[in-house]
Amino acid sequence: MTPAVSFDSVTIRLPTPDGGALTVATDLSLDIVEGKFVAIVGPSGCGKSTLLNLAAGLLFAPEGKVRIFGDELHAINQHAAYLFQQDALLPWRTIVDNVLLGPLIRGRSRAEAEPEARHWLQRVGLAGFEKQFPHQLSGGMRKRAALAQSWIVDPRILLMDEPFSALDVQTRQIMETELLGLWAETRKTVLFVTHDLEEAIALADEVVVLSARPARIKGIYPVNLPRPRDVAEIRMIPAFTTLFNRIWADLRVEVGAAAHG
Amino acid sequence: MADPVTFATGTKSREARRPVIIALQIGFFIAWMALWEIMATTGLADPFFFSKPSLISARIWEWLSGGFIYEHLITTLTEALLAFLIGTVLGVIFGLTFARIRLLAAVFNPYIRVFNALPRVILAPIFLLWFGLGIASKVALGVTLVFMVVFFNTYQGIREVNPVLLNNVRMLQASQRQLLRYVYLPSAMTWIFSSLHTSIGFALVAAVVGEYLGSARGVGFVVAQAEGVFDTTGVFAGLILTSVVVLGIDLLIEKLENYLLRWRPGG
Repeated sequence: MTPAVSFDSVTIRLPTPDGGALTVATDLSLDIVEGKFVAIVGPSGCGKSTLLNLAAGLLFAPEGKVRIFGDELHAINQHAAYLFQQDALLPWRTIVDNVLLGPLIRGRSRAEAEPEARHWLQRVGLAGFEKQFPHQLSGGMRKRAALAQSWIVDPRILLMDEPFSALDVQTRQIMETELLGLWAETRKTVLFVTHDLEEAIALADEVVVLSARPARIKGIYPVNLPRPRDVAEIRMIPAFTTLFNRIWADLRVEVGAAAHG
Repeated sequence: MADPVTFATGTKSREARRPVIIALQIGFFIAWMALWEIMATTGLADPFFFSKPSLISARIWEWLSGGFIYEHLITTLTEALLAFLIGTVLGVIFGLTFARIRLLAAVFNPYIRVFNALPRVILAPIFLLWFGLGIASKVALGVTLVFMVVFFNTYQGIREVNPVLLNNVRMLQASQRQLLRYVYLPSAMTWIFSSLHTSIGFALVAAVVGEYLGSARGVGFVVAQAEGVFDTTGVFAGLILTSVVVLGIDLLIEKLENYLLRWRPGG
């Protein structure tokens, strides 16, 4: 089966503050199987987010290839939606206008797109907030709206870059549970970057650990925990702890290396 | 972090002080006018140079009730409005083009700096020669002033678009044209709107200065005529009338701005 996303010996370069570029990985290969929820963890500065931008087609690898369902990516990835770490809603559009933007851009009429946007807002628990502007909502509510904005276009792949890292712990767990609920209905391919190993295990089918610079795949760990999961409760079961300790043993070495390197 | 309690009481006490402040403002105005009137009447200030509030207000009333001033006011406002509209449209178009095409910005950078450093009021005599004594020369002068303000704000607005917003809309499969429509332009609009006060003020300055230097109509012309016959009362009446009109326009713009930028936090 063709993987949904395939990184084929890519080079990752990060811009440095002085305007240069730092090569953090060469010859990195990774296949993401369609329909899987894959979390990528690794020490900071190892290029996790850059990997996501490569899959999005927002950046291009100086060397190596990125393939989406077998086709080499040369422009914006048309099969993917992206949930950013920062607020990415347009502040001058109301919530409903933000959510219907995707369909609007794809050529649908406003009249057609609006009921659908309202339906999605209801699904993420934002009914009644349609006419508010983003700044009038809490951080968690803005994330829900962003979720609706990316799911309304029915993408086959979801790219998520630490989407809940700015939220408080309670809101975060609620959002994680809701994300799993949405995901269970559609089983889209998800690439979820996080620095939080617990979050990675609680959500994913598979956890990919990246090493410190030069980044390589340190390990790929299948997460065989039962679904549907409650992200708060799953952290209590022994299998979770066992897996956490196994992955953490690998990850801590890399985090330590990144901190000292 | 803002303490909600202090914040609330702070707002309340400001609300409560509002009538006091207004009373003091009116009191100051009356005292100032009374002092001026007394100084001019007693001869402490020469009424030939300073006129008197009673004479000035009588003159303004005469102009308004007699209908003399309307033709001039309408001329000045027409010039300012045209300069404002043309300058804004050109400023947005050029700002947009320069911000999107790096080479253009790099090549023209020194010329734009020179043109911006030039005190543009100095162009008034040239425009009078080129475009004559009618409204065209005043509009041209106003356009050069408004254009620069809007141009720089648009340029800056486009260059400082939040890259996350841009990437987000790009991921929603927006074309270049759609990015312009949904991200670049609305983002630059906030900068352009915040420059409205400055640019409408410039447009009026240009109109009045242009009229003052050479025209047959307009508030600047009225002031120049009064000055020509040493009619200080007429000069002051013209100045005050212009200020009141500008103040009125400013209040309207503020209302418009508050409405259009209502999506902004704390706006």
